Amino acid sequence: MTAIVESERRPGGFAGWIGHIGDVLGAIPGAYRDALRTHPLRTTLLSALVILGVFYPLLNRSVLQGFSRNVFPLPIPDDTVVTFMLIFSIMAVGLNIVAGFAGLLDLGYVAFYAIGAYTAAFLASPHFGVVSIVLLANVPQGFPGIHIPFWFIVPLAMIIAGTFGALLGAPTLRLRGDYLAIVTLGFGEIVPVVFRNLADVTIKFNFLFINFSAEHLNLTGGPLGINPIDPPYLPGLGITFNASAGFAPVYLAMILLALGVLFARNLERSRIGRAWMAIREDELAAEMMGVHTVRTKLLAFALGASFAGIAGSLQASYLGATTSDFFQFSTSILVLIMVILGGIGNIWGVIVGAVALQYVNLTLLPYLGQQIQSIAPSFPNPAQFNFLFFGLILVVMMRFRPEGFIPNRQRAAQLSAHVLAAAAAERGEVVGLDNTGLDIDENIELAPPGQSEVGEDARAAETSDEARDL
Amino acid sequence: MDQIVQTFIIGLSNGLIFALVALGYSLVYGIIELINFAHGDVFMLGSMIALLLISGVFGVTAATSPLMIVIIVAAVILITMAVTATINVTIERLAYRPLRNAPKLAPLISAIGMSFVLQNIALLIAGPANKSIDNVLPSVNLLSYIGVNTVELSFRQVFVAVVTVPLLIGMSWFVAKTKQGKAMRATAQDPDTAGLMGVDVNRTIAFTFLIGGALAGAAGVVQILYNNVTVWNLGFRFGLNAFTSAVLGGIGNLPGAVLGALVLGQINAFSDRYVAANWTNAIVFMVLIGVLVFKPTGLLGQQLADRA
Repeated sequence: MTAIVESERRPGGFAGWIGHIGDVLGAIPGAYRDALRTHPLRTTLLSALVILGVFYPLLNRSVLQGFSRNVFPLPIPDDTVVTFMLIFSIMAVGLNIVAGFAGLLDLGYVAFYAIGAYTAAFLASPHFGVVSIVLLANVPQGFPGIHIPFWFIVPLAMIIAGTFGALLGAPTLRLRGDYLAIVTLGFGEIVPVVFRNLADVTIKFNFLFINFSAEHLNLTGGPLGINPIDPPYLPGLGITFNASAGFAPVYLAMILLALGVLFARNLERSRIGRAWMAIREDELAAEMMGVHTVRTKLLAFALGASFAGIAGSLQASYLGATTSDFFQFSTSILVLIMVILGGIGNIWGVIVGAVALQYVNLTLLPYLGQQIQSIAPSFPNPAQFNFLFFGLILVVMMRFRPEGFIPNRQRAAQLSAHVLAAAAAERGEVVGLDNTGLDIDENIELAPPGQSEVGEDARAAETSDEARDL
Repeated sequence: MDQIVQTFIIGLSNGLIFALVALGYSLVYGIIELINFAHGDVFMLGSMIALLLISGVFGVTAATSPLMIVIIVAAVILITMAVTATINVTIERLAYRPLRNAPKLAPLISAIGMSFVLQNIALLIAGPANKSIDNVLPSVNLLSYIGVNTVELSFRQVFVAVVTVPLLIGMSWFVAKTKQGKAMRATAQDPDTAGLMGVDVNRTIAFTFLIGGALAGAAGVVQILYNNVTVWNLGFRFGLNAFTSAVLGGIGNLPGAVLGALVLGQINAFSDRYVAANWTNAIVFMVLIGVLVFKPTGLLGQQLADRA
């Protein structure tokens, strides 16, 4: 605090800036001590996470492998799987903005992932061989195709995916929740079809003296997709972040995820974030309080989509190829399951959900499949039926724990209202004729201070007591 | 001209099959405002069960006598309808009824989960490849008897109409005239009041799922006999087509669902013929989005109170 006040007396200009940066850096240990004192658990966990991230190679190659060898033979995810865990974590954080913060169910989230991936594919590959645009990229001048460094593609992919999010949202966000879900699903199906089919386009334009004709344009590579795509390249250190680069891409994905989390976290606590939550709880009331609902929802859609744009461009650049087959309805649902499993509305929860689900999907199930195949070759391979488990997860979670395993507290109260109401009904209590969930919500809000930390059972008892008074 | 008529005939048979499935969506949406995502997969299970019955249990081949085929097909339709109706009611009991008071999106998410479960059960049992049966119905052009050879109206297209039209008529009679149908309409309008008037709401909803499942099963049988082929993920695309039909006609509106299905059948057929088959799905989804955005009440209007 004092450091910032002092900095106002410093000279301006470059020297002032350096001094300012120095002050900010100097304030970090103090701020860290403050944070450690006020939120000991959170700060410790976060520090542990940063340390684990920094020492990732050591962790994965020694600690986890050692655990797997000596204690319990769990399969260890390789670097590719870890990268995909992080890519899907970015998506889950983005979908959490749409579905968790603003309460809009987006079933076509994969469309924006595809848009991000194809943005990278168009702007960093030899695909458009008729032109040669090489801008600061790691390829020789005059190389066919457009080549732009990954570092410029990421913000571009964010902007393009976000724009498409806004374009889809603008006409549709007035719809009711379930209709919106179906419209987004339709969009999620259209986008991959467009990318698959625009491989042979003939444009003829003949108007007055403007005569333009282009035949058999291969815009998107068709079912084969676009291949190769330039990998991200860091010029100073000469690192190429592709699938054969070991743990380097993991760091890249970690940094992008960390930036995404920082952004989402600040959004959540901003005016916009509070407006989202107000709309989620009661759209009509929010509108009455002066929240511009359509604009706010549009912002949630566009910002959520931009996260998928980051994830898509990273995926395409990392793999060096993209085809429309990557982007199916099941991928949208996979991300949705990550969000629901981890705890809808809670950033850390959805990341845990993404990491856990990708571990099961890409490491555990194939490993179990191998083990089963080696014992009983005729037995079905669980890796092929992963969505049997994932579908069951959705049904069971909705039934028993709709708020997820690491819930957001407000969201939990709202979502588990029906579980509480059902429990009350089983005990033979009438909780009100209609809108049971709403009644219980209000009761929770009205609980006196100091009781907000009570456990679920106590809360259930408390709410049913109050409900009986009604 | 011949081509247009031919496309129209194909579209009509498509549309009639869509109609059977679309009714299931519309009935369920009308009564509990749930997009029953798993409905398309119940239809797929119907076609799988029919395939199993026809080629496995009854062992029908092209050599079976016509009379036997008629009897067997009738039996297969009845058995399949019974099985899919049971499946649909079970799904309702397990996945939707516990969520009756939950926020509206919870049962939708549960339905999506159920859809994946059903698909993967079919994948587990039938495998990933297309499953096909022998040509059971004769592929003769009925119009050649009256001297038209340029347009084909095959026996199987007539068969589609022979099965679906009575079911559609019976269905609308049932909802309009019977006591159970009245209970369904009452529950759709206002479940609380219907409950107070002595309607067993849970039973009525279960009954709605029973009818929807039976119609989807019949559609499955017709589908397998018409196209001779089915696959584990057939229900997703087909279900979305049927849902689009229901929305197009005005969801909750039963004649609307049939009309929407007939229109969508034509859209499918003409798009396949005159645009390109690989664009058809995109066109169907654009119709869906267009209807929802510009006229969410559909062609014939929504017949349900807007209980927000």
